Amino acid sequence: MGGYGDVQLLRDDGLRLDGRKLDEMRPVSIEAGILPAADGSAMVTHGLNVAVAAVYGPMEAHPRKIQRQDRAVIDVRYNMAPFSTSDRIRPGFNRRSREISKVTAEALESVVLVERYPRSKIRVEIEILAAEAGTRCVGITAAAVALADAGIPMRDLIVGVASGKVEDTVVLDLDKAEDNYGQADLPVGILPNTGEIAFLQMDGDLSPEEFNLAMEYNFKAAAEIHEIMVDALKRRYEGGEN
Amino acid sequence: MVELVPTLLRQELARLAEDGQRMDGRGQWEGRDVSLEVDCLYNAEGSAKVVLGKTIVYAGVKFELRTPWPDRPTQGSLMCGAELRPVAHRKYEPGPPSPQSIELGRVVDRGIRESGCIDMESLCIVPGEKVWGIMIDIHVLSDGGNIFDACGLAAIAALRTAVVPAERFDVGEDHTLKVNGTPIMSSFTRVGGRYVYDPSEEEELGGDERIHITLGDEGHLHSLQKGLRGVFTPAEFAEIFDVAHQRCADLRKLVANQEGN
Repeated sequence: MGGYGDVQLLRDDGLRLDGRKLDEMRPVSIEAGILPAADGSAMVTHGLNVAVAAVYGPMEAHPRKIQRQDRAVIDVRYNMAPFSTSDRIRPGFNRRSREISKVTAEALESVVLVERYPRSKIRVEIEILAAEAGTRCVGITAAAVALADAGIPMRDLIVGVASGKVEDTVVLDLDKAEDNYGQADLPVGILPNTGEIAFLQMDGDLSPEEFNLAMEYNFKAAAEIHEIMVDALKRRYEGGEN
Repeated sequence: MVELVPTLLRQELARLAEDGQRMDGRGQWEGRDVSLEVDCLYNAEGSAKVVLGKTIVYAGVKFELRTPWPDRPTQGSLMCGAELRPVAHRKYEPGPPSPQSIELGRVVDRGIRESGCIDMESLCIVPGEKVWGIMIDIHVLSDGGNIFDACGLAAIAALRTAVVPAERFDVGEDHTLKVNGTPIMSSFTRVGGRYVYDPSEEEELGGDERIHITLGDEGHLHSLQKGLRGVFTPAEFAEIFDVAHQRCADLRKLVANQEGN
């Protein structure tokens, strides 16, 4: 987390700078099947974040050394477009995107029925086109919808959400200023039907009580986003086209 | 591995060409539906999304302050790059920039740069010390054929809507970037023995060499590129050059209309 202290993040009326309540998330909209070249795809707009996910496969896993005899491997690439942030990012992988890709892949491998596709590979490409804090969570949500759009069997969807702490107060879904000047960030990937957690990271400072409240907020938000995900998938296949 | 299908595809494309037809029913010089959206990305100083048939690309403009080159102390710079990331098609692999993506970025770059639409002197803040560097990054999200034209269109449309973020860098007030012109690219691929405009994915797969022509507002040539294996005659070039004039004029109107909104 960035420095704390002198930046005011909560207004005198108790609301946040953008007028949200403490447990209110930014607006979310989702569209499934937006990329014609991909086997499955989705675009998620979460606040000012824009994430696109494409799924290719299951396909032959190569090089052969990455193959698993008993299941598919999921190959995730999380990438921020050079123009997605305030200062341009040099194209290519960095340590941050490699780590996020790794833990996202492991989260997705926990929900996809990978044992159905031994020795194969499922490619998941997450592209962040615009970043306003919380992109790894938006990427996970987009990846889940894209996997479902590709018709890949899963135990459940997975929803990426985050809560955090600003001015010693737990809030849901940090925006850019709150992320920069806040005290903690707790991004998780929640399976909305089973209530399990497949993705977990955290940095900053949270008491056990604050952690519990942050988790409560996360589960509430996951349920809301889950509805939007299901709605996007229904819209994609109810029309009769495709 | 992919050789078998193209043989069959090539036969089919040759048969269609004899009847003067294309796989998707278009005329020889007819483009696919194209849509353009500008100013669509938070954090980019200029941005555009182009949907050309099944091809989708985004372009974003960023600015940086840099020291000018010693031999050009009063000139800023412009750089345009394209990324063909694995998101765009199953044929693209992860890794360092491929020769194709470098070619793509450089062809778009030359068209914009050589048209002179950006006055490099106007990017100077303090001679010899501080100038603006403009970076256009093109992101291909779905390759459904003819990414060159889609990238060229997205790049110039994004540039034309760019706002110089002077306040953020503490060098004056934010202002619209001055862009004098709208260079537009037209691309042709030899399919079944003759050239077609705006090739689809299948036409590129079963086709031969391609030619990219970028024209400025006055109809002057600003960039040419021939890619892939194959040869053409001056008469063939004269024919597609005529077509390019018409198609470029149509697309230039599309850019102008978007800006009006």
